[in-house]
Amino acid sequence: METNYETIVIGGGVVGSGIAYHLSERYKEGVLVLDKKYPMSGTSGSTQAWVWVHNKTPSWYAEFSMYSAELYPYLSKKIGDVEYKRTGGLSPFFNESDREKAQKLAESYRKIGIKIKVLSREEVLEKEPYMNPEVAGATYSSIDGNVNPFRLIDMYMRAAKRNGVRYSTYNRVTEIRQVNGKYLVVSDKGAFECKNLILAGGTWSREIGDMLGVKIPVNQLRGQILVSEPLKPFLNFTISGLRQANNGEVLMGYSMEEAGFNRATTLDVIQETANMAVRYVPGLRKAKIVRAFSGIRAMPEDGFPILGNVPGYENLYVAATHSGVTLSPLIGTLITELIMDGETSIPIDRYSLSRFG
Amino acid sequence: MNKLDKTTIICRCEEISCEEVEEVISNGGRTFDDVKRITRCGMGPCQAKICTSMVAEIIHQQTGLSPSEIPLPRMRMPLSPIKLETLATNSTSFSAVKSVLDEVELEEGKVR
Ligand SMILES: Cc1cc2nc3c(=O)[nH]c(=O)nc-3n(C[C@H](O)[C@H](O)[C@H](O)COP(=O)(O)OP(=O)(O)OC[C@H]3O[C@@H](n4cnc5c(N)ncnc54)[C@H](O)[C@@H]3O)c2cc1C
Repeated sequence: METNYETIVIGGGVVGSGIAYHLSERYKEGVLVLDKKYPMSGTSGSTQAWVWVHNKTPSWYAEFSMYSAELYPYLSKKIGDVEYKRTGGLSPFFNESDREKAQKLAESYRKIGIKIKVLSREEVLEKEPYMNPEVAGATYSSIDGNVNPFRLIDMYMRAAKRNGVRYSTYNRVTEIRQVNGKYLVVSDKGAFECKNLILAGGTWSREIGDMLGVKIPVNQLRGQILVSEPLKPFLNFTISGLRQANNGEVLMGYSMEEAGFNRATTLDVIQETANMAVRYVPGLRKAKIVRAFSGIRAMPEDGFPILGNVPGYENLYVAATHSGVTLSPLIGTLITELIMDGETSIPIDRYSLSRFG
Repeated sequence: MNKLDKTTIICRCEEISCEEVEEVISNGGRTFDDVKRITRCGMGPCQAKICTSMVAEIIHQQTGLSPSEIPLPRMRMPLSPIKLETLATNSTSFSAVKSVLDEVELEEGKVR
């Protein structure tokens, strides 16, 4: 295998593969993606995969997410069907007291052009007849949706490879050195040299940063999901908490726990998730659960994406974020612009690693 | 196992053929879970109880890895399908599970 590349991406999840693909659209120099396992073995293979905008706060972060959601229809055209569906998103609430909060949210979004409706009980039930009639209301936005994360990454990889990107999988990076203004990336299958190095190691970003003495403050946050047998299509929207996939399976869950890298599923959270699901959609009671899975979110210390140049290092870039599925087309586009043009079409200073001091 | 040909169905639940499994491995996949994520082989109701050994055999044939080097699929609760209501406890207090709107915080009466 070639050992000299213009650009190396460490990590082939939705973020790394998204960057590699977007780079390959504009850039025919050598790009190599290294992954210690296979690209869906990290968080990107165990996610709800909502493309979610509404309820993200502050509103500048919602706006950022919106730009990414806007790219999805084009992405599907370019790389193939990734089962992206702009279903619209519903976030139900069960206490009338939450209505005021919902209205405040809608107000703060109006300024940036994201339309959120605050629905009455009747309006929720009209949109989503299987929702619990005890619901008090919901926020609704038409821009939200979901995607099949496996198809998304597979398509990114296929399209990137067609454009000349190389993948080296089951190949762990163990050491990174700067040599003559370049980066030497030492891996299980040999050493590779590159000019541009992109760190997209998701929840392992901290340890990859350490290889260069760069502090990337990303923590772990476990989430557990239940998956039902395929059911006839009956849910219309991406409901914050559950969604129905193309094949009829319902994915349920929205949980956060500090459990380090422990990817077990646990009965207590499974039970809570079941309680949440039957509270939202009582008709699911009789649905059979086929499996539970868990994933480890990459959670930057302040919750927001870490994107862009690594301060003090030339040609070194980092992309580590939660909500990587929502953000991947935008992150791919912006990191490509940064490398090719030296600037981005949307400012990303706010997301710089330098904010952590 | 030499009787497998390209069209042999490996995963009956999801109707995944031998050819589809082989393609994942030729693209760099090495474990059952890699095959599972890309093809859905083993994601159906039987939860990989039927296809595990056949997939292992294909991985072995294509990569030369010995059976002991091929990790088993990650087994998932509840192992065989059960009704959601069996798992529910009807409690309405939540700790790890959140509502998205709960995460929206107000500061001085305004959204952060
Ligand atoms: C339960 C759950 C639900 C979620 N729901 C959503 C959602 O609805 N919408 C949304 O947008 N996001 C959601 N997320 C978050 C989203 O899944 C992640 O933000 C996204 O998958 C992160 O992608 P990534 O490419 O950064 O990380 P990963 O997919 O983890 O990729 C990182 C890659 O780096 C590789 N790697 C690490 N170290 C090394 C090394 N030393 N050498 C070589 N390779 C290495 C790993 O093998 C891995 O493949 C959810 C997450 C969880 C856990």
